[in-house]
Amino acid sequence: MTTTATGALLRRDGLARRRDPLYAVSLAFLGLVVLVAAFAPLLAPYPPDAIDFTAIWGSPSPAHLLGTDQLGRDLFSRLLLGTRESLIGPLALLAGATVIGVAIGLVAAWNGGWVDVLLARITDVMFAFPGLLFVVLVIAVFGKGPWTAVVALALAYAPVIAKFTRSIALSELARPYVDAYRVQGASAVHIAVRRVLPNMTPALLGYLVVLFGEGLMSLATLSYLGFGAQPPSSEWGLMVQEGQDGIVLGHFAPTLVPGLAIAAVVVAVNIVGVRLSERLGARA
Amino acid sequence: MNTPFPRRRLAGTALATGAAAILLAGCTAAGPSTSEAPAVELPFGPTTPAASGPVDSVTWMLPSEPATFDFDIDSGAAENTVFANVCERLMAVQPDLTTVPHLAESAEWVDDTRVVFTIRDGVTFHDGSPMTAADVLWSMQRHAAEGADESDEYANVVSMEQTGEREITVTMAQRDAIFIQAMAGNGGMVLNPRVVEAQGDAFGSPGTPDACTGPYTLGEWKPGSSLTIERAADYWDDSREVLAGEVVFRWADQSAVVNALTAGEADGSYLDSPASAIPLQQVSDVSLAQGPSTNAWVLLATERGPLADERIRQALSLAIDRSGITTAAFGGLAQPWKTPIGQGAWGYETEAFQAAYDELEGAPASPDAADLERAKALVAEAGAPDEPILVASDGGSVRNVVSNALVAAAKQIGLDAEIVTVPSAQYGDFYSDEAVRGQADLFSDEYYISKNDPVGFYKNGASTATVNFVGFSDPDYDALVKEAFAATDDAERAELAIELQRRWVEATPWISIAQSPSTVALRAELTGVPASAAYLYYPWAADLGTTEG
Repeated sequence: MTTTATGALLRRDGLARRRDPLYAVSLAFLGLVVLVAAFAPLLAPYPPDAIDFTAIWGSPSPAHLLGTDQLGRDLFSRLLLGTRESLIGPLALLAGATVIGVAIGLVAAWNGGWVDVLLARITDVMFAFPGLLFVVLVIAVFGKGPWTAVVALALAYAPVIAKFTRSIALSELARPYVDAYRVQGASAVHIAVRRVLPNMTPALLGYLVVLFGEGLMSLATLSYLGFGAQPPSSEWGLMVQEGQDGIVLGHFAPTLVPGLAIAAVVVAVNIVGVRLSERLGARA
Repeated sequence: MNTPFPRRRLAGTALATGAAAILLAGCTAAGPSTSEAPAVELPFGPTTPAASGPVDSVTWMLPSEPATFDFDIDSGAAENTVFANVCERLMAVQPDLTTVPHLAESAEWVDDTRVVFTIRDGVTFHDGSPMTAADVLWSMQRHAAEGADESDEYANVVSMEQTGEREITVTMAQRDAIFIQAMAGNGGMVLNPRVVEAQGDAFGSPGTPDACTGPYTLGEWKPGSSLTIERAADYWDDSREVLAGEVVFRWADQSAVVNALTAGEADGSYLDSPASAIPLQQVSDVSLAQGPSTNAWVLLATERGPLADERIRQALSLAIDRSGITTAAFGGLAQPWKTPIGQGAWGYETEAFQAAYDELEGAPASPDAADLERAKALVAEAGAPDEPILVASDGGSVRNVVSNALVAAAKQIGLDAEIVTVPSAQYGDFYSDEAVRGQADLFSDEYYISKNDPVGFYKNGASTATVNFVGFSDPDYDALVKEAFAATDDAERAELAIELQRRWVEATPWISIAQSPSTVALRAELTGVPASAAYLYYPWAADLGTTEG
């Protein structure tokens, strides 16, 4: 039997009904974060880069719910607006990495033989290269900035996705329905893209959700190191970096607020990703 | 299928995150904002109280590891802090930032273009060999060589020769009124040629001996870990008491320096930023002091393009909030400042300099509506640049505040500005690498001079000056620089320096931000070191001892 990803998701009858409060809470939290990202400009009481030197390192107050940073900027507004960049970056990098990685993984699994060996060696070489060093090299060549960081990380993540795709594609290609389509004369592209890929989607989806958390952390790390988002952006990794000088002065919020936001989203994404993999993978 | 992320651990992590959030709210709510906190006041003066007794060993924190002790290659705060104790100069900076003869017994102008240094007898290098006039001449020629880091101090020198057993005569193209003072800086450092030549290109790197005459010798330098200087066994100056037996230098960023001082793992440090003194005020075991310096934070304009029109620079200078910057970046322990050098540079005619400073316009502490209107008018007159003004930051605390404030100021007057982050390791290349300067129109830095004479700074505005990146060119200014260098009368030189200062502030090749006093932190039972910026050239460790004998 063949099925599509959406159909598979909808027909997983146990998925919605199984009691899993942690999963439900995480999903609800992520939904809230997405809503915040969507409506951040309406929710934020101040522009995120509005400097107020009369209110530096301010404590939480009705005027500034989470306090202010070293430039007197409203932390709550920066956190809300930062949600956008902090979520869009990992999404974009995963989109790029998925297109490249899935294509490589599928081609390798479908063709086998020397194509598989060649692609495996290429991805092995990329695996062997330290990820951060590779990303820093790409940034050194193409310049700093959030989108360079996204492209660099997409290239670094592509081999990971390629390996995963290849492994699940190999087991999928061994199923009888693939031979059935071949006998019917369907083209390789048609079978791979229209039949095999949709059946791999549930497993891929869970894996990609977990990778999203990693991507968020990686982009935040690059921004922290000065390679990603540039000031006065309120990307969370950059907020952590900018706020860290306050620690020695006893002002923890400018670092801890974005740090906890990163931690909370990554934990929630991991919970959701793991649960999705567990449920969809088990039923695939 | 096994769950790679066990449910219990997930729950625990989520709970920990929530608990941390609650804890954070509690912690944050407890502390007042800086704007509400009382103004910080520290003892201010050239030195800390004199020590009563010696100390065997101290651990001293630096902002970074020294790169070399070959000062003709490079020198910065870390290198100077260490080797001020090891190497000596023809003249010597005192804690009050005045200069006195040192390895030179005297320095005198014998006519309009010749200055004679009489070399002190009885000085020995750390290898025991006597310092001769030939050694001094060799050292001066090395510093003056093209490409040497200190060669700018010798810009007016035509020739140098030994004219007696203990006499060096320097001939100038014109009288250089600050040349003698300049010999209290690294350009006047006397090196042992035999040691330097024996080491070749390796001289100045870890594992090579020093070639100096100072009260301390270089001990072990463990790259990446520590550097030790030890009291010189046979220091030539018997009259000089050398209190600290050895100083072990370690290096870290400012947070770690503060932590090391708080935890009692370090005995002292000249703080990289006065703001670091704020948390240390709460530590009972640490004493703090501030002193005069020539240091000032400035934004240097580059040749990249958009700031070539001085009206744009003037507009930015009018709009930037210096007062806000000093509060945000220095916790109020630095002062908004209109000129590119600190008050410590006013080594003579202080009242005249103060009066002239007070009259300067175009660099308000906090811009008011009139300043912003003037700035907008200047931008309208000049026309806004086609591309955004790029201001560099390395992500460090002060540069982050300065660059964000510049962007905010630009926005207020209708200019578009963006921040570019340049790694700290590359930041120093702004001075030497045109390609690096191509990344930004402005880069902020803390600039200081070794001489307590503003003329020593304002030469940087001459059209041929190496740090006049933006290409400020004014023939009258160039002529004034020459005139000021030739004026050995203090009152006359002060008048010329004040005119140079006025023209500099008007043209704004650099945008001045704040003067930053020197700040020293010491374990409470230690004292004696200068609080002023003299520590960069003065053997401060020799004065470091205990408060009780």
